[in-house]
Amino acid sequence: MANHNCSNNKGLRMKFSLTTLICALTVSILSGDHIHAQDDADRLFTLRVLPIMKEKCFGCHGSDPEDVRGDYNMLTRDALIEGSTDVAVVPGEPDESPLYSAICWEDSEMPPKENDRLSEEETDYFKTWIEAGAPWPDEETQLAIQKEQWKIRENDEGVIVDHSGGTGDDWTYRRYQKEDIWAFQPVKDVELKIDAQEQNPIDAFIDKKLKDAGIAAAPQADHRTLIRRATYDLTGLPPTPEEVSKFIRSSNDDSEEAWSKLVDRLIDSDHYGERWAQHWLDVVRYADTSGFSNDYERSNAWRYRDYVIRSFNNDKPFNEFVMEQLAGDELRPDDAEAKIATGMLRMGPWGTQMIPQEEARQIYLDDLVHNVGQSFLSMPMRCCKCHDHKFDPMPTRDYYSMYATFATTQPAEVEAEFLDVENLSGFDEKRKLVEELLAYAKSKKDEVTNKQEDAAKKWYKEHDLPYKNVNARKDDPEDEKPPRHVGLTPEEQGKKKVREQDVWIWERRLERYQPMAQGVYNGQDDWKNGRKLRVAKKIKKNWRPENFILAGGSLEAKGDAVKPGVLSPTGLAVDPDAENPWAITDELEGRRLAFAKWVADDKNPLTARSIVNRVWQYHFGKGIVKTANNFGVKGSKPTHPELLDWLTTDFVKNGWKIKRLHKMIMTSEVYRRSSKPADAKKQAAVDPDNKLLASWQPRRLTAEELRDSTLQISGELNREMGGVPIMPEINMEVALQPRMIQFSIAPAHQPSRTPAERNRRTIYAYRVRGQADPMLEIMNQPNPNESCEVRDAAAVTPQAFTLLNSDTMTDRSIALALRLQKENPEKPEAWLKQAIQLSFNRAATDSEKSTLLAYLEEMKSYHAENKPEEVEYPTEVVRSLVEEFTGKPFEFIEKLNVYEDYVPDSKPWTVSADTRALADVCLLLMNSNEFLYVY
Amino acid sequence: MSNVKRREFLYGLGASLGSVALSSMLHADEKAVKSVVEQSPLAPKTPLLKPKAKNVIMLFMEGGPSHVDTFDPKPKLNSMHLEESKRTKGLATGKRFYVGSPFKSRKVGQSGIEMSDQWQYLADPEVADELCVYRGCKAESLNHPEALLHMNTGSRLGGDPGLGSWVTYGLGSENQNLPGYVVMTELALPQAGPANWTNGFLPAYYQGTRLRSKGSPILDLNPPTFKSRAHQRKALDMLAKLNSDHADRHPEHADLKARMESYELAYRMQMSVPGVVDIKSEPEHLKEAYGFNRKETAEFGRQCMMARRLVEEGVRFVQIFSGGWDSHDYLEKGHSSRIASVDQPIAALIKDLKQRGMLEDTLVVWTGEFGRTPDNNYRGGVTSLGRGHNADAMNMWFAGGGTKAGTVVGGTDDIGAEAVDCVHPIRDVHVTLMHLLGLDDNKLTYFHAGRYKQLSQFGGELIPEIIA
Repeated sequence: MANHNCSNNKGLRMKFSLTTLICALTVSILSGDHIHAQDDADRLFTLRVLPIMKEKCFGCHGSDPEDVRGDYNMLTRDALIEGSTDVAVVPGEPDESPLYSAICWEDSEMPPKENDRLSEEETDYFKTWIEAGAPWPDEETQLAIQKEQWKIRENDEGVIVDHSGGTGDDWTYRRYQKEDIWAFQPVKDVELKIDAQEQNPIDAFIDKKLKDAGIAAAPQADHRTLIRRATYDLTGLPPTPEEVSKFIRSSNDDSEEAWSKLVDRLIDSDHYGERWAQHWLDVVRYADTSGFSNDYERSNAWRYRDYVIRSFNNDKPFNEFVMEQLAGDELRPDDAEAKIATGMLRMGPWGTQMIPQEEARQIYLDDLVHNVGQSFLSMPMRCCKCHDHKFDPMPTRDYYSMYATFATTQPAEVEAEFLDVENLSGFDEKRKLVEELLAYAKSKKDEVTNKQEDAAKKWYKEHDLPYKNVNARKDDPEDEKPPRHVGLTPEEQGKKKVREQDVWIWERRLERYQPMAQGVYNGQDDWKNGRKLRVAKKIKKNWRPENFILAGGSLEAKGDAVKPGVLSPTGLAVDPDAENPWAITDELEGRRLAFAKWVADDKNPLTARSIVNRVWQYHFGKGIVKTANNFGVKGSKPTHPELLDWLTTDFVKNGWKIKRLHKMIMTSEVYRRSSKPADAKKQAAVDPDNKLLASWQPRRLTAEELRDSTLQISGELNREMGGVPIMPEINMEVALQPRMIQFSIAPAHQPSRTPAERNRRTIYAYRVRGQADPMLEIMNQPNPNESCEVRDAAAVTPQAFTLLNSDTMTDRSIALALRLQKENPEKPEAWLKQAIQLSFNRAATDSEKSTLLAYLEEMKSYHAENKPEEVEYPTEVVRSLVEEFTGKPFEFIEKLNVYEDYVPDSKPWTVSADTRALADVCLLLMNSNEFLYVY
Repeated sequence: MSNVKRREFLYGLGASLGSVALSSMLHADEKAVKSVVEQSPLAPKTPLLKPKAKNVIMLFMEGGPSHVDTFDPKPKLNSMHLEESKRTKGLATGKRFYVGSPFKSRKVGQSGIEMSDQWQYLADPEVADELCVYRGCKAESLNHPEALLHMNTGSRLGGDPGLGSWVTYGLGSENQNLPGYVVMTELALPQAGPANWTNGFLPAYYQGTRLRSKGSPILDLNPPTFKSRAHQRKALDMLAKLNSDHADRHPEHADLKARMESYELAYRMQMSVPGVVDIKSEPEHLKEAYGFNRKETAEFGRQCMMARRLVEEGVRFVQIFSGGWDSHDYLEKGHSSRIASVDQPIAALIKDLKQRGMLEDTLVVWTGEFGRTPDNNYRGGVTSLGRGHNADAMNMWFAGGGTKAGTVVGGTDDIGAEAVDCVHPIRDVHVTLMHLLGLDDNKLTYFHAGRYKQLSQFGGELIPEIIA
């Protein structure tokens, strides 16, 4: 922020003459050697003073003649000088001009908001201009001055970006610092300068910067650290003790060879896809429900989740992955896989309840534009919904071209036959559980509706009219049919709504087992209800939506008409010779495919850079560009721009293959560095944020890694892949706590029936927008309503409660204790050795063994005397709701049918005191920093 | 392990927050404690502007309390009772008719603030003359979840930080042994759920912590019943040993401290939270004043008293949700029972704060997510006496915290259909609340998704009429 010191040290301020000021501040405005003062003042006004007035003053003092604040109008020179009650400007005498003192915040403060306050540089423009007599050239002169200026595409003040054009010339021709708009420039073909033949190119770039900064790189981490790092990084799971010892042995023979083989093995593991799909699901905001007031289930979303896992495992070229997600249905209309891929366009939270249709539609399209931009192009688009971008060279026109691109895209559950590669196991049993709940809800609903219809029949009889059922009488006049809730008490009315909602919920869940996908189709806008989205029965092939720039994002404020198109500031045209080089087809079909091709184009400066940067970020904890979702002016600048461009070029040239990129990154030296700096003091002083990567940055396990790791070391993890969502055990209070949805309470969280079913990897866990698993949430699993570019790992206190005290962690610690006892009968020391080996991937030290053994003994005596009480699972829960009309509470029963036949994990009351004591040790290991951090 | 030994190795970590509790227990020097507290993200911060209020208690009436039946009476509407209405705004469909208020209204206190006669305790001049009733807000959303999110997070779409998150981000909290932002709800969460008190894009330190009314006040606050407090202390000592050995091996890793500290903090919270929640020590007459002995007021009364205790302990922002205000039908029954459940506790809270000299520093806010319509549709073919959702008019009130006591600000038209005087959107209310706390909404920003975000989204205006 500039220094606002007009008022307090006026006497000290330098007095500028017009010429010195111009020389000092506005060199680039001026051209020619013979400066004519009048011309210069005109230029100063046109290029500096007027734009400031437009931005900061006219809002209140001009633009709206009906609403001129304080009657001061600044739109013309005369009015500006004259002022409202007193003269505002004395030409030639800035210090006598109240306008000048006001903008300096001396007598009065203008503009009044701190955020709008002028910088000293800006107030000086006014000063100089008033000194020069406050000239106000006519519009023709202004335009001539501006046009001359626009011809110079690049000068000291920055560059003018070519694009489709803003809503005003000031914006269209504004200048940017070149380094700020790096991402819009073509990817540079960087020359690689490697020191030695065998040097990894990445190291060449990284080490050069380190050398320039005079920082020594940390030595290579030890083998144990490296296998743990790589295994977590690629699979999200810890290595087994056997894998560790095998790797250390082979590293001793040939460490390069062993490392290379390890990376290959991990990249080829099925668990690789599970780990890396999670990153992408964070970006696109995966959830199994729709959010908003009803949080309806998206019963087939799991198929998109599995598609992403498969794509990573199959090393699908990223450009193809992009195309499928944006336009799979258009690319291969008969391929179920491609239709499932468009689930990406269905990931945002969305609902229609109580929202006018047009507005609901706009919310959907805005979400798409913003998140497609953010996910694939690292270009958040929402700012341009209301205006040309404040900082980026992104016109609002382009937002609406992209909006028009999606304007024929309609969300729906589409038909998509099951694929051989999909996991359909257990469908029958799972379906049966849902059918039971549906039957119960229906019977309860019938109880109430029967009572209502009995009363209706009576009413018809009394009124001497023939009985009509609910549907048949729907449109009858009020006096020819019984009141809506005839025969029902307010409480029964409430129950009816609850059960109707239940029927919806369970009918919908049955769709999980249908060959359907949460996808999209191309068609006309029609009435949509979020609870059931189906492909329109008849698609109007000739339907073409009209799209406009909407000023301020308001549906009422239609501006210029826009056609479907791509983002122009990228410099990548669709057809350079066309009248509108950015336009794509405006047919009903094919818009997304054309757009997808443009996104996935080798020459798109954003797409490949974006994914390369993301991959880098997930390996190192921070991207070359720290703001992975935002490559715009206000995003971070790349720390290693040349490296980013070199990697991007190489990535594209070699077929957009992510596994190849992993391999290159992981075989670099920088990836294998120790977390201990070679010279900690120097590094802390020169590069405190470790941007130059002299040493490895440790990271905490993510929520999913934490849960998966505890399951793995306890031996409980079921490695089955894919399929309908699993239900882990979550905090019982939360599972049963009533969760409000419109008119009702959402069903309780019931865990999957058997340990094998529920103790699977967390990526398969049911993700409900309205109710997070509290343990995952507290460990910073992101809120799925917003794209998550990078995980937070803030250590907040409630994490300690969850990790120490929760039933889930108690259960894991007991399972690990049982495993240790089973695999090493009667050998306490072996238990501890194995526990440490499993948790930390290293041997226990003598002092650890003796300390923990003593602790174990102490806990044995504690638990011998402190017996846990058995906790039973409820098979139903009584719900209480306040009836909406009367404000009176009423109760109803919700069935928890899973618990009727439930197979629990081992619990404190099912194991011995000795096992509980050992579980205490296990729990501590699972809480320890060594377990929770990857080095 | 003895206290002395534990002290040794905790000190070995350097002066860190985790050792604060212990060191303060052990009478360590205050300076060291202070410097450590200052490093916490929740450390108290001095606001930019001169604050009028330090803490907030927000009483959220979920469902949309009817302004014309609470603090904005409309005699004209009563004279139009059951006349046909031609209004078409909002969710209005089909034939509609006007609904007069089932309640009488009267002026109360020295200030003569008008309110419905259902408010018996708030009508006490000692309380009524503290209120600043604001009738000019327009809520913009007609649907409960969106409107709730708008009022609580400044955004209708969900995912943005709650008011309390912004406030604790701006001001920190005075008590490091309790969460800075506490939320209390009924057993059922309000619509839109925890999104109403999420930290959104702000760091997780600023999320609202729910103090639960049943079961454990904070999830998993205590170990399973077969593990005693001594057992937990022992476990924590053992964990601290493991962790400090590990930290010795990784001096380069700064994050370790924060996690080690969080366990000690957790242990202290296990002590302090039950202390705050445990109201046994409160005098009987006060409990009675809050309505503990009446079924309809007991729960909300307990929460109001808890709010006072929390603020007393230095918690920055307390929010209580009370549901059931969505009276589409049977408004007389619905609203009278809702009012009866909160009237006495709120009055007791204000008096209690006043008596303790806390009202000056504590801003009490009473609001819902929107107001209600002056008319209703024929629901189920009968003239049901209730009201629809109204985004154009509502009322809320403030007390204490530098607001203008004993005033009415703004107004709605003569039937309460729309705000017409001193009209402001929700963001202006937010800007004003922040201002009272010494926070400038334009300056309290956080860079996210490409721009500096703020509570008001894009800036707002102060409502100076509210400020004393």
